[in-house]
Amino acid sequence: MRLRCHIPLANFDLDIDTSFESRITAFFGPSGSGKTTLLDAIAGLRAIADGEIEIGGRTLFSSARKINLPPQQRGIGYVPQEGALFPHLSVRKNILFGAERGADAGNSKRIGVNYVLDVLEITHLLSRPVTKISGGEAQRVALARAILSRPQLLLLDEPLAALDIGLKERILPYLARVRDEFSIPMIYVTHNVTEVLTLADWVLMIRQGKLITQGVPKEALRSVSAISQLADEQLENVLTATFIESSLEAGRSRVRLGSGVELFVPYSSRPNDSLCQFGVSADDILIATQRPAGISAANVLPGIVGGIERFNGEALLTVQAGDEFVVRLTSSAVARLELKEKLPVFLIIKTRSFRLL
Amino acid sequence: MIFSPETWQITIFSLAVGVASTLLILPFGIVLAWLFARKEWPLKSAIETVVLLPLVMPPVSTGLVLLKIFGRRSPLGQWLYERGIEIVFNWKGVLIAMSVMSFPLLVRSVRTSFTEVNLRLEQIAATLGASPLRIFFVVTIPLAYKGIVAGALLAFSRALGEFGATILLAGNIPGQTQTLSLAIYNFVQLGKDPEAYVLLGITVALAFMFVWSSEWLLRTGKKL
Repeated sequence: MRLRCHIPLANFDLDIDTSFESRITAFFGPSGSGKTTLLDAIAGLRAIADGEIEIGGRTLFSSARKINLPPQQRGIGYVPQEGALFPHLSVRKNILFGAERGADAGNSKRIGVNYVLDVLEITHLLSRPVTKISGGEAQRVALARAILSRPQLLLLDEPLAALDIGLKERILPYLARVRDEFSIPMIYVTHNVTEVLTLADWVLMIRQGKLITQGVPKEALRSVSAISQLADEQLENVLTATFIESSLEAGRSRVRLGSGVELFVPYSSRPNDSLCQFGVSADDILIATQRPAGISAANVLPGIVGGIERFNGEALLTVQAGDEFVVRLTSSAVARLELKEKLPVFLIIKTRSFRLL
Repeated sequence: MIFSPETWQITIFSLAVGVASTLLILPFGIVLAWLFARKEWPLKSAIETVVLLPLVMPPVSTGLVLLKIFGRRSPLGQWLYERGIEIVFNWKGVLIAMSVMSFPLLVRSVRTSFTEVNLRLEQIAATLGASPLRIFFVVTIPLAYKGIVAGALLAFSRALGEFGATILLAGNIPGQTQTLSLAIYNFVQLGKDPEAYVLLGITVALAFMFVWSSEWLLRTGKKL
């Protein structure tokens, strides 16, 4: 995808010039940095003063060549933040609203209606009015509606930001399924690091309308320029793990990471052998230079310091402990422990610091 | 039966021409209101002002303007007359006067209901491949329909109450152009107060019914 656009906004100008080839791309940045504007421009809902948009060799917009396809012809599915379901139509009519184009477009693989309903678990909602479904269900309906228009690209605007949606209803697992089942490229707007790390294979960091850095999420989010953006963000480690055993009495489950390292996490009723993702904040990991004894934390992992990035009195440590962990410390802690690259250390993580995503 | 045949005739004539005028202006009003609410075009504010003028101008002045436009000595009146159509001093004059006088109310009310339709819904419909025409009929109109119906009711009530423009353009001819309002005026002039009171009762009942249902629609419409 080639994306160059200049859009004057009230407080700053949106100026992006980049190209990327990725399945799931995250536009990452604080609120009000122009991310939604950028999505609107890609979808053709907003005028671009100057620029080009090209997807898979197809030009959607070019100010130089005077090309400006209307939204109808762009083949871009858009799930806006609020879902934007048509309130006067039933769930069924909402879902099928764009399916006509999908049926005769033939530009992407056939995606059956029932298949999409199954994957998103919304079949039972079909005959309901959209005013009688929950926030999480509404998001899935909006997602199904966009997918069934068989878009070449799916735009998702902060689907996890809606605060009224309970943890259980989070759309994240469904997005992962959509990614795996339908192979539609996605652009995903968020201001949450965890979401970037969980879903995306490429990230564009945007601030005040400018592209700050881009790359593979794990690397891009660790650069100095990125850390400066994350100052007041939760910097989180996202780990993929398999359940081994769970005990309700002990209040914990044992999981195994891809590297073979085993961890204790809060009790979950998930079946053994099921795969899931955990988050642990970079601020919730302790570092020790000797193996500690007599502590309550159940996870003590030996590892080696991979790198130290300093910024504004803070230091971001990467530690290889089977998987890679990011730990945020103060500069004084780094000095006191005389931390440096290749130093063997121990990571100490409380069971309850892990959070099931 | 307290209604005389004359009372019936006047009431039915008023209602019939009122309904006809509302149906006549409805399609134009909806399209114009949409253009005002959703599009930017040259002279938009000037045209908006002209459309709203009959709302604030003395109705008699509007009537005089209409008389000049449709009178047989005007180019338009002449052109219509040659084709066998006469507007002035018959029911068509009543129709035109009612239409022009109630048009601004319709447009204002419908325009407001269009601006209350979430633009995002129309945009998303476009990304789903819906043509502008489909968006208009499947998204915009259904979401604004309560405002449209309320506006039509309001316009209809205004049409029934029309007096000044009607008397100038259509005259006050019993059995031909006499509406409820004109008849009340007539009866009072002739000292036939009881007859005037019967008609007064009818107008109050009708006005109450229409304004009340219009307000009710707008109230419940907000919840959507």
